[in-house]
Amino acid sequence: MNAPLRKFPKQKRGRGVAAGWYGIARTATIDRAAAWAELDDGGTAKIITGVTEIGEGILTVLAQIVADELGIRPKDVTIGDNDTARSPEAAHAGATRQTYMIGNAVALACREARQRLVKEIAQKWQVSEDDIICSNGIIRTLDHSQSMTMSEAVKYCKNCGVVPVGSGTFTANHTGLDPENGSGNPWQAYVYGAQVAEVEVDTETGEVQVLGVWASHDVGRAVNPQGVEGQIEGGVVMAVGQTLMEDYKQEGGYPTSINFAKYILPTSLDVPQVNSVIIEDPDPLSPLGVKGIGEPSMIPTAPAIINAIYDAVGVRIHSLPATPEKVLAALREKRERADTHEMLA
Amino acid sequence: MASLDIQMTVNGRPVKQSVSPHLRLLDFLREELHWTGSKEGCGAGECGSCSVFVDGVLMKSCLMPVAKAQHSEIETIEGLEEQGKLNVLQQAFQKTGASQCGYCIPGMMMAATAALRANPYAGREEIKERLGGNICRCTGYQKMFEATELARDVMNGKLTIEVLKEENEEGPFIGSNSFRIDTSSKVTGALKYAGDMVMPQMLHMQVLRSPYPHAEILELDTSEAEAMAGVEAVVTHRDVKGIDGFGVFTDDQPVLARGKVRYVGEAIAAVAAEDLLTAKEALKKIKVRYRQLVAITKTEDAIKPGAVIIHDDVPDNIVMHIPIRKGNVVKGMAEADFVIEETYYTQAVEHAYLEPEAGLAYLDADGTLVIQSPSQNITHHRQKLAKILDMPVNRVRMIMSPVGGGFGGKEDMHYQGILALAVLKCRRPVRYVFTREESIIASAKRHPFSIKYQLGLNRDGLIQASKIHMLADGGAYNCSTEGVMRKAAILAAGPYAIENLMVDAIGIYTNNTPSGAMRSFGAMQSQFATECHLDLCAEKLEMDPVELRRKNFFKEGDETHTRQELGSVSMLEVFNSALDLADWETGMSNSRGATRSDLAQSGNRPPCTLGARQIPLETIPTGQAS
Repeated sequence: MNAPLRKFPKQKRGRGVAAGWYGIARTATIDRAAAWAELDDGGTAKIITGVTEIGEGILTVLAQIVADELGIRPKDVTIGDNDTARSPEAAHAGATRQTYMIGNAVALACREARQRLVKEIAQKWQVSEDDIICSNGIIRTLDHSQSMTMSEAVKYCKNCGVVPVGSGTFTANHTGLDPENGSGNPWQAYVYGAQVAEVEVDTETGEVQVLGVWASHDVGRAVNPQGVEGQIEGGVVMAVGQTLMEDYKQEGGYPTSINFAKYILPTSLDVPQVNSVIIEDPDPLSPLGVKGIGEPSMIPTAPAIINAIYDAVGVRIHSLPATPEKVLAALREKRERADTHEMLA
Repeated sequence: MASLDIQMTVNGRPVKQSVSPHLRLLDFLREELHWTGSKEGCGAGECGSCSVFVDGVLMKSCLMPVAKAQHSEIETIEGLEEQGKLNVLQQAFQKTGASQCGYCIPGMMMAATAALRANPYAGREEIKERLGGNICRCTGYQKMFEATELARDVMNGKLTIEVLKEENEEGPFIGSNSFRIDTSSKVTGALKYAGDMVMPQMLHMQVLRSPYPHAEILELDTSEAEAMAGVEAVVTHRDVKGIDGFGVFTDDQPVLARGKVRYVGEAIAAVAAEDLLTAKEALKKIKVRYRQLVAITKTEDAIKPGAVIIHDDVPDNIVMHIPIRKGNVVKGMAEADFVIEETYYTQAVEHAYLEPEAGLAYLDADGTLVIQSPSQNITHHRQKLAKILDMPVNRVRMIMSPVGGGFGGKEDMHYQGILALAVLKCRRPVRYVFTREESIIASAKRHPFSIKYQLGLNRDGLIQASKIHMLADGGAYNCSTEGVMRKAAILAAGPYAIENLMVDAIGIYTNNTPSGAMRSFGAMQSQFATECHLDLCAEKLEMDPVELRRKNFFKEGDETHTRQELGSVSMLEVFNSALDLADWETGMSNSRGATRSDLAQSGNRPPCTLGARQIPLETIPTGQAS
């Protein structure tokens, strides 16, 4: 929707831009994750991994990866997760690492399970394993001369005495930093992002509204573009909160903003329209080429907003959050400086 | 205790029960009837997660005494499904990917339902207003607006139900918007978070927390609390059998305070009792005698010579100092045409995940200790707990319950150890659910930083040298401070090729709430300074800030600040695409908002103006436009 500029002079608009970069998975230390896979009865798949979904959508991402690796559909995938006594280590939900670390581990596990199945079917059909593809629940030869459902294939494989299982472990070879000069290879995959923000500043109240954010992020390969967009939108809005209103305050060690009446969070009325574009520069060092988006999505937002405030009203806010009080004080100072300048001139 | 006979209809079924009059409607639904779809996010009517319909009116059930709902008709999230199938709004939430952690979703679904019931033709701005009483921390709301609009259009017959179908059912699936596999459990309220779980014989735990930022504990007497009827166990540091201490990088935090408290809200003792009220009462019977110590609450005070020591083994109060050195900064600055300095500050930030911390712990039949909690790091927590409890690692089983938002805040093992001690002491299941206030004071925050920035540039905009000095308030315990300093330092100078560099990130102990992991982990703070500073420099150089950045961006084969050779670098393409998307107008960096012509295009929302709304006549449904 087009938002016309207001006629009233007290609201000023401006735009700012900022860039940012981020490393994927654990910092300056080797990172690893593992998964087990089984091609199961009915042409379904069972994936077991210690992955910890925290709402970002990693389970869906894994189901999509499994589906493509095994030639089945996401809805055929069952994921057993997050239990230290039942699943292999996949470590923590953090460091923008789950799609990269666990996605690749799961892909490797699937490849091994698939290979077990394909070996039996290739023998049955008297073809090379390379001539077999699995897709959308069907296993067939490249020339379409032979085919069966994945369900039949699993049954056949089991009748040969083989359960088609696999395991995968994925490593990110990061090195520690030199304690004196900090040199080292903290990550093997980096991502880049940039955002433009447009704000409206009310010069009478000091209130800043972020109206639009245009965000571009390299994620390596977007497994679920809508999910990537969701991470960008969520990250941007979290950063809008930190830039304009959120402030955990303590006085002499006593916290004073201990509930949501005092600790102010962005609501549906505070958020900009977020416009995203996803750039794919695949990671060459991993099987899937995926990287990540969870954390990097919020890196450029705050400085883009602060730069936009300057563009709008000519004051630079150096400390977060840019509350109405701070913006008003800065505007007043700017006016006083201008007045003094005029007086002296 | 007095009791109250309550009769109401919940999701079309009659309910009659005798309950304690102190219950809120939310407690009645969740604890008595086990309709746990409605969530408690704040207990104060601020977040909306508990929203239900009472006689058709959207209400926050945490604010309503159950007696007020006598004889009313209640609709909860569990009542939205139609004949066991997702209704249109639920399907629209699925289609747009509007649920992430899912914890706010029951309340959000009820608010969106109320919006469309009130005005089936509600526009985007009205929808926003009607969802304004509900907080979501994951999604940024965008997809919720889209979902509500989509449902509206389907319900009005403007779009067919086909638009709610999954786009790709044949594959390949990587690159397609497959439906989230957890959506239906979230939009129906079926998913059980830790605080929704119950077990037979389950006890309720409450925790006594420090009222002081820094104090010695001279006496800790729990005998009176232990003697109370209904109290099964009181636990303190004395119950720790193994090596006490947890943390993400160093184990500097005891499960329960050990002779000293270092921040307001630090856990001291816990009670497991038959019911919540008894547990709360018992806390009051625990006697603690404190000797208050000088509290250090500013980083600059903590590193002054002679400052009070917060942890005995860290006499300088410095948790971690990460230095990065490259080239010759002194020479680089001396040779630069301009040296521009500024100091930047960032504040402490609360994660504000909508699900406050909660856990349910019990012993498996074989004696294995099981802890179900929204832990972001079950692997690490298992290792720590085994050491603390002196148990073989395979006798400790961590299960991550569905996480109602984490953002780094659930990486710390702030309460799982306490639950473990209680279970081992009374050998019954124990549940602990934080209040919002408890969650805020007890859990780690984003590190506040002060960042002294000095950048040397040539007239043409090339960066010659960068000196960045960062002090971060780590609060009372390490948590993730070490890692946050490392990431802040490595990424601080931004995606720019710089020959001469001197970066220091120093994390400091204080008696403030601990700082820990939070989304973007130090890099948000350090790059905030960099990106603000570049605009400042561009103005001094009378350059376009866009050009200044482009001139200095990393490219393939460049060396990073830690001297790593980069492979493919997408920075320039990413940057250009953001500017293209925004239709950015080129120009100098000198507050040109008043003159630029790229403002107010599509891609913005209208500025927020609450109150009277102009409604185009044609959008008002026939029969209402009287």
